[in-house]
Order: sequence, then structure tokens, then C-alpha cells
Amino acid sequence: MAHQVNNPRYGFLIDASYCIDCRSCMVACSVENEVPMDSTRIWIKETGITGKYPDLKRFTAPFHCMHCKDPSCVSACTVSALTRSEDGIVNYDQDLCIGCRYCIYACPFGVPNYEWDEPLPLVVKCDMCYARLAEGQQPACAATCPTGAIQFGKYEDMLAEAHRKISEQPDKYVQHVYGEEENGGTATLYISPVPFEELGFPIAGETSPAYSNRLVTEGTPMVAGMMLVGLSGAYLTIKHIKEEAAREREEAEKEKLAQAAVEEN
Amino acid sequence: MLQKLLHELRTMPKFLYVTAALTLLGLSVGLYRMIVGLGPTTNLSKAFPWGVWISFDLATVALSGGAFTLAALVYVLQFEDLHSATRPTVLAGLLGYSSVMVILLFDLGRWDRFYNVFLHPNVSSALLEVSWCITAYSLILIYELSPVLLEKTRFKWLLPTIKKYTVPIVIIGVTLSTMHQSSLGTMFIIMSPRLHPLWSSMLLPVFFLVSSLASGISLVIAGASVSYWLFGHSLKIKTMAKLSWFIPWLLAFYVVIKFGELVITGEWDLLFSSGGYSLLFWGEIIFGALIPIGMFAFRQVRFSRVASLIGALFVMGGVILNRFDVTWFSIAPVQGETYTPHWMEIAILVGVAAGLVTVYSLVARYLPVYEETDTFKRNTPLPRPLEEAPAAGD
Repeated sequence: MAHQVNNPRYGFLIDASYCIDCRSCMVACSVENEVPMDSTRIWIKETGITGKYPDLKRFTAPFHCMHCKDPSCVSACTVSALTRSEDGIVNYDQDLCIGCRYCIYACPFGVPNYEWDEPLPLVVKCDMCYARLAEGQQPACAATCPTGAIQFGKYEDMLAEAHRKISEQPDKYVQHVYGEEENGGTATLYISPVPFEELGFPIAGETSPAYSNRLVTEGTPMVAGMMLVGLSGAYLTIKHIKEEAAREREEAEKEKLAQAAVEEN
Repeated sequence: MLQKLLHELRTMPKFLYVTAALTLLGLSVGLYRMIVGLGPTTNLSKAFPWGVWISFDLATVALSGGAFTLAALVYVLQFEDLHSATRPTVLAGLLGYSSVMVILLFDLGRWDRFYNVFLHPNVSSALLEVSWCITAYSLILIYELSPVLLEKTRFKWLLPTIKKYTVPIVIIGVTLSTMHQSSLGTMFIIMSPRLHPLWSSMLLPVFFLVSSLASGISLVIAGASVSYWLFGHSLKIKTMAKLSWFIPWLLAFYVVIKFGELVITGEWDLLFSSGGYSLLFWGEIIFGALIPIGMFAFRQVRFSRVASLIGALFVMGGVILNRFDVTWFSIAPVQGETYTPHWMEIAILVGVAAGLVTVYSLVARYLPVYEETDTFKRNTPLPRPLEEAPAAGD
């Protein structure tokens, strides 16, 4: 079945070389969404300290929902609490969620988190600050970032900017835009001076598992229909064969009786 | 009346007191978990949002597969001599599914709105398919079991009507089972980035379906053997032998597609190079498939209660290990973070499993589960307590 996968309208471009680990983005997210600092929807990934004194290095990058073009979480969600809007924002409807936590497992980027300490918990996930977007403002993290590590804009512009940056400074950046192909493409794009695995980014395939999942789940009703027909057919056929066999046996017996009667006479 | 009840309680097999106590304990812990949430009562985390509960659910559903396997053999393919095995199996299946649903309710973060599964479905979710099929199938199991419940009541007049529609209902039930047994495997396709490649596969739904057929039949055989020693009535050895005849064929098919898939995807070198994962994989294959294939291939084994029980336990053990592998052991840790269950998670599980045993024993004791015309009775029946002289104090 056809499943529309369009480019998102908006995108992030996050440049790991600009991030100074100030965590303003986390504060902004905490304020915007009125959540405590330990359950923000954005957090910092880092390489840890590398190299030898005095030549020490440490790279960091903010990480939040990638807003995939074909999100695994949306495909997994039992109750369609997770949806992808036409703008390409992966949204969470907290009134529908039943807390099965399939999305947390399905996400290849390890994004959705859970309010583990609440009696009736919800999933914690970036919604691209769509309320701010509607008012013409940037998402809180992008608006706050003091170094410009988090850029926000039209997806095509962000993609072009990413490629411009890495091709203009090939010595500085790894020649890869993380998110362009990962998991079938995402609205959040990264460029980095160190390999992405060192930053702790998962190595995701180029197609979303959501696609393989749909191949199976959407074929299921057809298989079920075929099974119903097949089983009914098998039942009727076997019943018929058994009845035929029984009738033949009966007739044979009758004949035998008749013959015996003839012989007696 | 009270005297009679007390008497009944006194003559119960003693293990039922233990299982009843465990059930109560487990359910109280479950109640506590519902009040305080998942954080304080489980070791689940962002890296491991599903734990031993899901492993238990998958193993239980696989073992309960006996109910639909047998229904298909008896009603659709019309192996009428297997008929006497259906009642105990359907009962075991229904109780298995019920315990899965109880555990799922404890597992859901928002158990207070589980009904959204029916109001707001997402059809591309394998988990949705599983929950719908399990619900519908449980209703069908109740229908299949209803003659046992109604036989000795004044609703006896319903029996002919129930019987009339049994075949179409069974056909729907077999279809629903096939769908959710395989969908449980489908659920892990989307999690492929986390699953070890030895288990991650597009064929997971087929693996799950075939193994549930084998483990379901094994459960019937094991259950019949146990009830032979425990309650004094069971299936004829001929019926059991006829059932276990299917096991080596199913398992051989399973082994062939499992290795076939690994060869085709070029992952067969992982069979020896994955350390603990390789061991788990070979454990499944050798103990859960190869040994039982070897055993049940012999007529002597199929016609021996003890040997059949041992073979069946191998198959069940293998399938349980497989479900635990897929849901837990083969899942890659995130930055070194692994999962071991909290004691409360275990307590709830033990409670629900004990409840299953309790209810099964009680139903088998008081309702005509094993009492169809062609069931086999042990030569020396256990003394029926109520037929003895009245207990002291009467």
C-alpha cells in the first residue's frame, strides 16, 4: 500500500563544532514545556574527553527527536497517539497514549523517554515547538542557542546549508550529513568535526524499519481473508470426502447383504 | 453448606494453598504497582522499556498455541480421535490468554485508558493486531469452552445451538490465532536496529507461528501427562502419540527455515562468532528442536508417557528460551545499560502464573474437562474425598 513520504517543511541543522555544552537549549526546553530539567525533550550527546594532555578534546551536540520522514514510532504506536503532520512534525497526543512503550523500543535513535516516576506516566518527546511555529517563532532550543549550533528553517535550506558548510571546509567536517539518509531521512540534520559514532549517535540504516513493518502488517488482512477461505474450503472438502467414503461403505454393505440374501434363496 | 465448603477446602490438594497464597501476594504487589507507577516497582528504563513481563506474555501465548492447533486438527481437518484432547487444551489456552491480559494491564503505563486500543486503532501497528486478535480469540475460546461450563446447569438447552456454530467459530478462531501468533513476531521487525542479527529477521512472523504450533502441541502432551499423575484421568496414549507425531515435522521445518534464512542473508558466520549470543541460539536449536526431533521420531517415545513428557518439556523450554531471547537477551544494551528485573516484577509474574495453576486445577476438579466418553482413566483412581466416610466433626 502506498504510504506517502514527503520532505518535511521545516528542519534543524545542528553543527557539533559550534556546541559549547552550555545547555541553554535544555533550559529553554524545560521552560517552554514546563517540565523539570531532568525530563527535557533535548539532551547533550558527547564524545567524552579524548586525546592526550595538553592536546585534549571534547565534542558535544544537542540531541532531540529527529522527526523522521517515515518514523518508526508512528508506525509502531498502537493507538495513533504518535502522528506525522503534513509539515513533517512528529507529534504526540498525550490524551490517546496507553503507555505500551512500543515507540520507545521502535525508535532507532532512542528518542522517546517516559515519565518513569509518575503513577500515570506519559511519553516525553520533542514536538518541534509547533505552538511557537504557529506564532511565527523558532523552536525554543534554536531561538536560545547562543553559538548558533542549532539552526532552524526551511528543510531544503538547512540541507543546502549543511552541504555548503562541509564542502567549503572539508578539513574541518566529516563529509557526511547525519539525518539526510539515516532511517529514510530526517528533518533534523547534523554536521560534525568528529565521526558521528564517537558522539554516540546510533548507526541507522538508510531505510526505515517502518517500511518493512508496513509490508507485513498491511498485508495481514489479505492473508487473514485467504486463510478464512482456505480453512472453510478444507473443512468442506474433507467433510465431503468423509461422507462419500461413509456412503460407499454403506452401499457396499447393503450390496453384500443383498447378495447374501440372493445366495440364501 | 459452610461445613461442606470447609470439607472441600480441607480435601484440596495441598499445593493449591501455596499457589493461592502466591496469587494473592502477586496481585497485591500488582495493585501497589498500579498505584505508584512503573518507576519504583520495575527496573524498566528508556534503554529497556519492556522487560520480563513481555517475555512472559510471548512465551505464554506461544504455549497456548495448542488450543488453535488442536481446534484446527479436530474441527477443520477432522481428526476426530483427537477430540478428547480439545477441552483441557482450550481451558489451558483460555487461562494462558487471561493471564497474559492481566499482565498486560499491569504493564500498561496508562492502564486507566486501555480501551483506546479499540477506539483509536493504528492499523500499521503490529501490537494493535496482536491486542485485537487476542481479545477476539479469547471470546472464541470462551465459546469453545462454554459446553463444559453449561453442561450441568439449566442452560443445557443452549448446547445444540452452540454446537451448530462451532465449526465456523473455530475457523475464525484459527485464523485469528495464526494472525496474532505471527504478529507477535512482526512486532520485532520494527525493532530490528536493537535486535541481534541471529534473531532479527523478516521471517520472524513465520518463525513465531511454526514454533507456537510445536510448543502448543507439546503443552497438550505435557498437560495430559501431568494430569495423569495428579488427577488420575488423562488422554489415551494413542491420542497422545498421534499428536506428538506432528512435533518432529514442525520442528524440522522450523530448523530448515531458520538456518535457510541465516544462509541466504549471509549471517551464518555469526552462529559461532557471537559469544554468548551464539550459545543462546544453539541452546534453542539443540534443546528445543534437535533433541526433541530425535526423540519423537521414535515410536517408543511417542507411546511412552514419561518419554513424551520429557520431549514435550524440551520443546516448551526451547520455545520459552526463544521468546526470552527475542524480547530480552538479544536486545542490544544502550551504552552498557542492561536490564535485570526488579523483585516486584517477578512477584507479579509468579502471582499470575500461580493463579493460572490454581484456576486450572479447580476447574479440572469440578467441571467435566476430562470427562468425555473416550477419555482414559487411570486404573487405580485417586480416592474421591467426598465419597469417603464423613469427616470427623460432621
